Amino acid sequence: MRQVYMCTDTITGLYSAIHDAWKEKRDSEAEIEITDSGQRQLFCEYKVVEESRDKALRLERMIKRYLGYNAYWDIYLALLSDDPEKGTAVFRAMQESRRISNSRKIMEYLGNSDVARVFAMSRQVSNEAHMYEEVIRFRELENGVLFSEIAPKSQVLTCIADHFADRFPLENWMIYDKTHEVFLVHRQQTQWALVWGEKPDKENTHMVSESEKEYARLWTVFFNSISIRERENPKCQRNHLPLRFRPYMTEFSD
Amino acid sequence: MIGTIQEKMALYDKLTVLSDAAKYDVACTSSGVERNGDGTGMGNCRRAGICHSFSADGRCISLLKILFTNECIYDCKYCINRSSNDVLRTSFTPDEVCTLTMEFYRRNYIEGLFLSSGILKSPDYTMELIYATLYRLRHVCNFQGYIHVKAIPGADQRLIERTGYLADRMSVNIELPTAESLRLLAPHKSRKNILTPMRQVQKLSEQNRQEITVYRNTPRFVPAGQSTQMIIGATPETDYQILHVAESLYKKFDLKRVFYSAFVPVNTDKALPSLRDQKPPLLREHRLYQADWLLRFYQFEAAELLDEEHPNFNPFLDPKCCWALNHLELFPVEVNRADYHTLLRVPGIGCKSAGRIVKARRIGSLTFDDLKKIGVVLKRALYFITCGEKMMYPIRMDEDYIMRNLLNTKERLPDSVRDLNFRQMSLFDDMNLNGGELA
Repeated sequence: MRQVYMCTDTITGLYSAIHDAWKEKRDSEAEIEITDSGQRQLFCEYKVVEESRDKALRLERMIKRYLGYNAYWDIYLALLSDDPEKGTAVFRAMQESRRISNSRKIMEYLGNSDVARVFAMSRQVSNEAHMYEEVIRFRELENGVLFSEIAPKSQVLTCIADHFADRFPLENWMIYDKTHEVFLVHRQQTQWALVWGEKPDKENTHMVSESEKEYARLWTVFFNSISIRERENPKCQRNHLPLRFRPYMTEFSD
Repeated sequence: MIGTIQEKMALYDKLTVLSDAAKYDVACTSSGVERNGDGTGMGNCRRAGICHSFSADGRCISLLKILFTNECIYDCKYCINRSSNDVLRTSFTPDEVCTLTMEFYRRNYIEGLFLSSGILKSPDYTMELIYATLYRLRHVCNFQGYIHVKAIPGADQRLIERTGYLADRMSVNIELPTAESLRLLAPHKSRKNILTPMRQVQKLSEQNRQEITVYRNTPRFVPAGQSTQMIIGATPETDYQILHVAESLYKKFDLKRVFYSAFVPVNTDKALPSLRDQKPPLLREHRLYQADWLLRFYQFEAAELLDEEHPNFNPFLDPKCCWALNHLELFPVEVNRADYHTLLRVPGIGCKSAGRIVKARRIGSLTFDDLKKIGVVLKRALYFITCGEKMMYPIRMDEDYIMRNLLNTKERLPDSVRDLNFRQMSLFDDMNLNGGELA
């Protein structure tokens, strides 16, 4: 009977599930499902994975060792996507890597549908993460903290954290991921961290500093005056900057 | 009173005037330099560049693009800030530019600063102000983001050199493709005057590169290289001439980019074409950019794409398709065997997919399905490739036949061109679209 491993939608959860699947079922079929992803299938056995940091680290080491750093990075990104079958695709791609002569070249086997799927998910996540490096807009709250709110499809926070930490080392800033309800927090001159299980205080996050309103106004006027009227092309603008990003951007907010 | 220089103007109004005046500058790229922050200031740079927003005309906004001043002593016919125009004049102070840049950057609005300027009093005076601004931004505000700055033609060489050590990219606008047009439309500028700082920046960059190999911590001079821009459609040059100029700029001056800017009539002048009722030649600009990419990334030469007999691009088809249609004897190519350079020349295959094909076929032979997954645009490529010695569909290697099919893929063409509708032609008509007049 086919085994289905159930885990939470976190890197630790997914790594633990793949770890267990690899340990018990690496020669036969297995699937990895996210808990509460809805439908159950017939003719298979469900098993809830016991998640632990140890398992995750062990799997991470194994992937880095046998598949190489680049493939590890692809797998990590793929597991951040919003595709419910991401775990299964990664597991099958790993199985495929045992069948080829040099397992480190697994990501080049795009002819295999699971590898292609992992590749596509990784590309989608890294594209979205790059998009958020562009369109995140911070607003300065009354206490001087820079705050931003986004609603990404995939869990991009860890992908953009290093970029912003490097860019604003002396600032206190945080980014709230509305879809997954996670905070990315950075205190000046320290490491960034993820915070789960908190929600932003609506009142506080809208108390912006005095100068904030002025700079938002300056930015909006710049944004409008930089466009050449004779060349206007809203379709081109939408291509580059899809509407779903705009509610969170200063220049489109009114 | 409009036209007088206003001493005290709110920052808001200054930004409105001076960003509005800068919008005709095309370059808004923040690419070409990779630099991490050192932890003591603010900012870093990414090699690929980062766009932060897109304005209503669909152009990216990456940098805070402003003029330092529009109080210009020159009288270039095409420019909105020419001295004979009656417009609101104002200047920033170095302090204001720094505050704006830092505060915008902090909120992740921008990737850095693009500072251009009209000529205030004299080229030297203006360049000095620009230098003062950049110095303050780099050393007082500790800004480590991207700075693109204009070298003012005619300014002292030492000033340009010192500014170059603070900036990431420098540019001098060549403005118009030929010296003749420049004399006509920009009486205060000369070709020699423009090319001198360009050559100087090139020489200093080369020198700097050698110094860096010896002393790793030497300050970098214009690490992201230099660029230039020219106006398309204000003067009667052909695409061939323009592309030729671009090619020689790339080869002889080692430029990173040449930008093309479709002429937007902002002034009425008898030296300028009357385009009041027409739209700017955007399609022509687009075709030039396509050709520019072919020069820089696809190893094409200007003479391959156009010649004296066909001096202009075909408005219906992109330059690469056109080239392929004129060289049907080289096609179809076998995807599983052709080398990287041959693959690059196939319409529908870009640098990325050519690279992926070369990698993927080491493992097994590729099919059309695989090509699709790799990212090849099959609707264009299928006329020019075979997989396992077979084409995707039975295709006649005939120029008119392929062109008709390529046009059927409904690439979006502007109305002005669509009026010459290709579907109106009769069944036995010869589709003689080569060298059609540009809109």
